Amino acid sequence: MTGALDGVKVVELVDEPVEYCGRLLAGLGAEVVKIEPPEGAASRHAGPYVEGRDGDLDASLDFWHFNVGKRSVVVDDDETARRVCAAADVVIHTLGSSRAAARGLDHESLSAGSSGLVSCVITPFGLTGPWADYAADDLVLMALGGSMAVCGYGTDDPPLACWGDQAWLTAATYGAIAVLAALDFRARTGQGQLIDVSAHQASASMTEWHVMTYLCTGSPMARFRHPTVTARDGKQVAALIPDFLGPHVFTHFLAMLEADGVAGPLADPAFEDPRHRARGYGELMAATQRLADRHDGEELFRLGQEAGLPWGVIRTPDETLDDRHLRARGHFVEIDGVTHVGAPIVANGSPFRFDRPPPRLGEHTREVLDQLEQPT
Amino acid sequence: MGETAAPTALDGLRVLDFCRLGFGSQATMILGCLGAEVIRIESTTRPDPIRVMPPFVPEPGETGQGFGGATLAQAQKQQSPNRGGIFYKYNTGGKRSIAVDARNPAGLDLLRRLVAVSDVVTESFAAGTLGRWGLDYDTLKELRPDVIYVSMCGYGHVGPDSHYVTMGPTAQALTGLTHLVGLPDREPAGWSFSYLDHVGGYLGAYGVLAALAHRRATGEGQHVDVSQLEPATALGGPLVLDRSVNGRSSRRAGFPPGNRRGGAPQGAYRALGDDRWVVISCSTEAHWLAFVAALGHPAWTDDARFATLAARIEHADELDRLVETWTETRDRYEVMETMQRVGVPAGAVQDAADRVERDPQLAARHHFTRLASTEVGELPLEGVPFELSVTPPDTGGAIHRGPPDLDEDRDYVLGEVLGLPDDEIAVLVGSGALQ
Repeated sequence: MTGALDGVKVVELVDEPVEYCGRLLAGLGAEVVKIEPPEGAASRHAGPYVEGRDGDLDASLDFWHFNVGKRSVVVDDDETARRVCAAADVVIHTLGSSRAAARGLDHESLSAGSSGLVSCVITPFGLTGPWADYAADDLVLMALGGSMAVCGYGTDDPPLACWGDQAWLTAATYGAIAVLAALDFRARTGQGQLIDVSAHQASASMTEWHVMTYLCTGSPMARFRHPTVTARDGKQVAALIPDFLGPHVFTHFLAMLEADGVAGPLADPAFEDPRHRARGYGELMAATQRLADRHDGEELFRLGQEAGLPWGVIRTPDETLDDRHLRARGHFVEIDGVTHVGAPIVANGSPFRFDRPPPRLGEHTREVLDQLEQPT
Repeated sequence: MGETAAPTALDGLRVLDFCRLGFGSQATMILGCLGAEVIRIESTTRPDPIRVMPPFVPEPGETGQGFGGATLAQAQKQQSPNRGGIFYKYNTGGKRSIAVDARNPAGLDLLRRLVAVSDVVTESFAAGTLGRWGLDYDTLKELRPDVIYVSMCGYGHVGPDSHYVTMGPTAQALTGLTHLVGLPDREPAGWSFSYLDHVGGYLGAYGVLAALAHRRATGEGQHVDVSQLEPATALGGPLVLDRSVNGRSSRRAGFPPGNRRGGAPQGAYRALGDDRWVVISCSTEAHWLAFVAALGHPAWTDDARFATLAARIEHADELDRLVETWTETRDRYEVMETMQRVGVPAGAVQDAADRVERDPQLAARHHFTRLASTEVGELPLEGVPFELSVTPPDTGGAIHRGPPDLDEDRDYVLGEVLGLPDDEIAVLVGSGALQ
């Protein structure tokens, strides 16, 4: 079996949290070389760290997760950086237009000797427009993009952003998609190009139907907490009853309640009418809570699922490690004795996998620079 | 669009698309924006729920009804299948539409012929559904040996719980994304929308393109099995490692930390107006000094409690209250501009109205493209958040059109894609296969 991007050379030079782009390409078999400054990439300075190794640049778990499968090259001069980039098929960087040009890392300079180069530039606002030079971290991107306005507990509490750089991760994912599309175009025509990803636009386009709601109704969505029920062990369960998917949803829901003896007023045949259910939605939630009082969270979620309902217990990210289904699909992979999150998709013809552990700072400097010296 | 049409990245790629709802349709929308020809296979008797769910695109001069205002049953009776607002979020990229009844033998035969002329088949049904119609992967491969088949459903096609079903909030709960939105020591607030319908769709598009690269190198197609869970686990990946390496769970006091990210002042602050907020995010000493200067050095900024970053983080609650006394009398955009002028990351908390009507950056980047659909007319629609210098993406796809009316492209698909003569089309119509 071969990786989909076997033989593709990617160089990454990023100082924003978009290393996920390179990770997504490394998993497909691309050789990803990460250029770092002597003090190490920003993610090496972010925790959490391996216990007892706080501040150790080779022990940041944030770095490990987003850089598994890559090689690390320490470069402290732009001339060498340009040479490493010029030997690549794809360059990913986060420099705005003027910074890139000043360092000779802009697409025009880098592609002077190779019209097939694909440059993927991921910046907060894109390379053009009135905010192109504005400063943004993930919190700012989540504010301007719209998720914060609608996530939180209501108007008495502040708008909330999800932990973990979600706007940047979305931009990084789009970066990988655009690189794959650009490589396909290059395979047909030999021609490379410049990809200009705006994390602001990525963030703005992730809020589902909210723009359409505004356009259709004249009012934006309110901020609210997604409803849950509390199970016997205190865990919260998203217990959705998506009536709009068809009459089978209520039939299955009612059968499950009756099996547990908690159907209560829902046994009234009036509830067979979807209009009655829509008016009496509070009764549906109350019955769900009666059921929840009798089961622990994991059990309640599976009870709902076995009845055909899209129920999910609220887990922490680390609790996914215990999920029997993800384990059976081989989702978690062991690399040098460490269990990592593995493939985001199951593609048996060209499996997603990592060939090497996260690199130590500068681990491959000599190897990569020596390769540059060799005649091709 | 210029006079000379630019080439597109995926020119010539044909996608036979059985996706419904958001997750899969997000994936094929991206492919359409990149120039692929996406042909939606639809049903007039059981239309895609998002075609007939509120909010509805209003008739000119009317105001529509919000999401949740009606049941599907009501909607199906009362509404055209071309007015469901959510459909217009997920089905740009110039998608085509034809109604085909897979349970009708002539309909199934038509689908088999379409598979034979398609590069990619995408679907988002429960595992096994397409197989029961007689279109499992082995059959698809017989019809088109190098076919790329990408299935997108909640738990994927393989594994002990592959019969489980998800919607965005389900997958968000199960993968930890819900847990990661909240104030310390309160129940999770979660996401009020289906973030993972998007993320799953992104990885679906990624799966198609990865398989395409593999096919270009080897000539081989494959089945790519995309679930709604695996695309999401990487989004909280460092916390998974914290447990697998350190044995530490993020189910602990003080986590998640709300809007705090290791800086101070950092968070959303009340601004002038009803439920108006602005984010200011000072994570370095330089940010703080610039912030203080921008405020004109008020006396409280000299307080010893705020002398260092560590001290500011320790006294973040008191600092936040003082910062808010400054922001709450000011317009959120004014605060943003004041901060940005001195290099402090800041941004107004924008809602959908702000993005459409006010945001000058989205306007300058042409984030919204006005595209016409046949029944509802023009709407400003969103595509992909990147530019390509040689093969510009088009939110309206190769045909530069809005989302398709149900069954709008029957003639095109039968006549031009399959080249069927008129008499054969007439027989198909008579057979009841086209509904």
